[in-house]
Amino acid sequence: MVFLIILIASFLLQLVLPWWVIVVISFATCGLVGKTSKVSFWHPFFAIVVLWTAMALFKSLPNHNVLVSRVAVMFGLDIWWLILAITGLLGGLVAAISGFCGYHFRKAVLIRKSHA
Amino acid sequence: MICVIIPILLAYALNTKFGSLPPLLKFLNPFTGFWQNAEKFSIQKNNNLVLKGTHEQVEVAFDDRMIPHVFAKNDHDVYYAQGYITAMHRLWQMDFQTRYAAGRISEVVGIKAIELDRYQRQMGMVYGAENSLKGMMADPKSREMILAYTDGINAYIHSLSKAELPMEYKLLDFSPEDWTPIKCALLLKQMSAVLAMGSDEFYMTNIRKKFGPEITSDLFPDYPFREDPIIPTGTAWNFKPLPIPPTPASFTEMTTGKVKTKQLEDGIGSNNWAISGAKTLSGYPILANDPHLNLTLPSIWYQIQLNAPGLNAYGVSLPGAPGIIIGFNQHIAWGVTNVAADVLDYYQIKFKNNTHQQYWYNNQWKKTTTRIENIKIRGAADELDSVIYTHHGPVVYFQKPKKLSMADNVPTGDALRWIAHERSNELMTFYYLNRGRNYADYRKALTYYTAPAQNFIFASSDNDIAITANGKFPLKWKDQGKFILDGTDPKNDWQGWIPASQNPTVKNPPRNFVSSANQSSTDQTYPYYINWEFGAYSRGKRINDRLKIMTKATADSIRIMQSDTYSILAQDVLPALISKVDPSQLNATQKEALRLVTKWNKYFYAQAIGASVFDLWTKRLFYDIWNDEFTIAAIPMRYPSTDRTVELILKDPDSKWFDNVNTPAKETLNDLVNEALKYTCDSLEKKYGPIGKDWQWGNVKQTHVPHLANIPGMGSKTLTIGGAKGTIDALSETNGPSWRMVIELGKTPKGHGVYPGGQSGNPGSPFYDNMIDTWANGQLYDLYLLSSPSDSRGKIISNLKISAK
Repeated sequence: MVFLIILIASFLLQLVLPWWVIVVISFATCGLVGKTSKVSFWHPFFAIVVLWTAMALFKSLPNHNVLVSRVAVMFGLDIWWLILAITGLLGGLVAAISGFCGYHFRKAVLIRKSHA
Repeated sequence: MICVIIPILLAYALNTKFGSLPPLLKFLNPFTGFWQNAEKFSIQKNNNLVLKGTHEQVEVAFDDRMIPHVFAKNDHDVYYAQGYITAMHRLWQMDFQTRYAAGRISEVVGIKAIELDRYQRQMGMVYGAENSLKGMMADPKSREMILAYTDGINAYIHSLSKAELPMEYKLLDFSPEDWTPIKCALLLKQMSAVLAMGSDEFYMTNIRKKFGPEITSDLFPDYPFREDPIIPTGTAWNFKPLPIPPTPASFTEMTTGKVKTKQLEDGIGSNNWAISGAKTLSGYPILANDPHLNLTLPSIWYQIQLNAPGLNAYGVSLPGAPGIIIGFNQHIAWGVTNVAADVLDYYQIKFKNNTHQQYWYNNQWKKTTTRIENIKIRGAADELDSVIYTHHGPVVYFQKPKKLSMADNVPTGDALRWIAHERSNELMTFYYLNRGRNYADYRKALTYYTAPAQNFIFASSDNDIAITANGKFPLKWKDQGKFILDGTDPKNDWQGWIPASQNPTVKNPPRNFVSSANQSSTDQTYPYYINWEFGAYSRGKRINDRLKIMTKATADSIRIMQSDTYSILAQDVLPALISKVDPSQLNATQKEALRLVTKWNKYFYAQAIGASVFDLWTKRLFYDIWNDEFTIAAIPMRYPSTDRTVELILKDPDSKWFDNVNTPAKETLNDLVNEALKYTCDSLEKKYGPIGKDWQWGNVKQTHVPHLANIPGMGSKTLTIGGAKGTIDALSETNGPSWRMVIELGKTPKGHGVYPGGQSGNPGSPFYDNMIDTWANGQLYDLYLLSSPSDSRGKIISNLKISAK
């Protein structure tokens, strides 16, 4: 569920908003419906890894990976798919941390409320 | 709370540029990052576009190399579409080059570019562009051209989303700003800076101070020992020259401060030639041109065909300037090489005091003006740079920057008088050439041209050929500006201009060809002074030797000639060098090198080992000869020319200059020749191992085409190809023929051409560097001068229809 919401929302919103909207989406989604801290970490992670990898390949494959190969050389790497991996993992990690933080934010707020 | 801060910090950190590292996820994310610049290899066939700025419908046909053929119904639309299409392919390049010209790189990359920006401002680049723009805007035709072109570029910029920005913007993390007419002027100024900012007067003045006038004129003569001038020797001058201003008495007495500009870059030069129908198979002229520049990706040039009523021209344009610079139409073809006229002078200024508000001129104190240059710096406060202007021009430096090699030859405290500061309108030259029908149109077009001075070559289907060393040349006394001038004496000012009609020119000479390769414009009978030194005669000599014996020429014979690598320098000097080698003193490697260089046919082929040996050998020898006297850290100087050095080697082998003054022994020319050969072999061996395949010229030279901003990975592969400075195929490491063109005139002209790159400036495009291999192999593509967008001769892969609504 969390996975799908983040995947779809991130896809749609990134068509019009900057990349960091995934931070907001992951935070909000996990803050609202994240069941455990594990789910709140891994679901956003995989959602973004899948989404970004798919989108990158969608652009890069019809390009015969010419551009990504040049970018790889620029970063001092010789293999183009390392750039793909870095893109996916870094994006995923940011989403995961955001989701995790969102979940714990809700927890913290709930605890404060229950204390009050 | 920390749960909220962490994600915000992460997002911020990965969206921000740190030092030279791009904003990581802004750059890498596949929705707006670089992935979006990966262009599909399959091309969409038909596109429609609504652009409100056009007046009538415009059709653009893109051929199989993505070269646009623009068909418009009026002048406005043709330049509007040129602006739009050029921006579509080259926006970042246009933006970056004009920012560079304007001294605005710090705005993009931060404080590290500040010295470069100051240099550009203090040389008066913006001041010159502003003056030029006044000239361009004064003529209704060029005004329309430049405004339509500007609007076209802006229409494209405004259509872009963040995701569609060229990749370099994402990497360097900035955004395009609106194009303005001044940027067109800046671009043309930058061409002047590349081609006509060279100046040796700081070095020459130091040399004269150190060695005295006699040695200076002996080692730096006003006419070369060997020459084959552009206007054939003996051509009559059919005009009554203006009186030459008198040489002031103070000339030889002048003293100087520590002044210095950039030395004209070696290897910036070009070839062009045209042969009359008498020497061709078709009976019509053939014209060839290959301008040599620092090669870059995106390519310096952009090919385009422009068609509108009264206009149907094909050729290369400069991204950022409307019209076609080098090309052809139904009736004529034209091309350019650099003249190397002395149109940049330094004047020593005597200021009243350290406020620099007044200076001594014509026996009285004269007021300076101050121009404030506001330099924006990324990540720091703006810098306000006050530049002092005299009536000569700006005082470039009161204090020299420590780490800017291009400023090495700029003197301090001296004012710069430079042709590029003049009001001018070069665009009109190209406006008329693009529409030219005959010789008279060519001559008329040239009168509009100011700088950088070019040898304009011409051929027409009427079987006329011509060449003109063309530009606005100051009327000078002989050698005015060879050394730094005394700025207090009005006799040292530029005192008028050589009339455009009296610029060196020749039409249909008896030898049936015209040519130029940056050598002296004329023989010594030309009544005016243009410069005391031009490019070496070697390329010109080889071109003329070949053309003299050529008959029944075809486009192919001319194409092969463009990639000719025969070395005239080797022909002149190699036998003398070999005769001076003492083989008994050589080790096995050196003996083998000597054998190979002796056997070498003097062609700089990629496989030639002799070429590598000869190149390093002569370089080392020239160093051995001159370095001891002419390299002194505190007094920047230059070496005497190759021509003068060869003359010494051949005619004066006992000259005192061969002795190394830093050793007690007395060295002879023979000693130096042997030392240089041994040094050459040792250094080649050190770098490339035992003598063999790795010593081949193509491997030693390492030709490649780097990215304009030197971004790794965005340049070309290394090309193992021949050619060398001083040969027709003047190809060094990253400098050489930036466009090769051969035009067969006739009832239906046939064009052939190539440049090392591609039409697109996007490293993610299949058209980014697709022409490099053809260029490297010395082949040319057919250029299609289409009569309509549906002309079947052009292999059209995509059509674009632009309408106003």
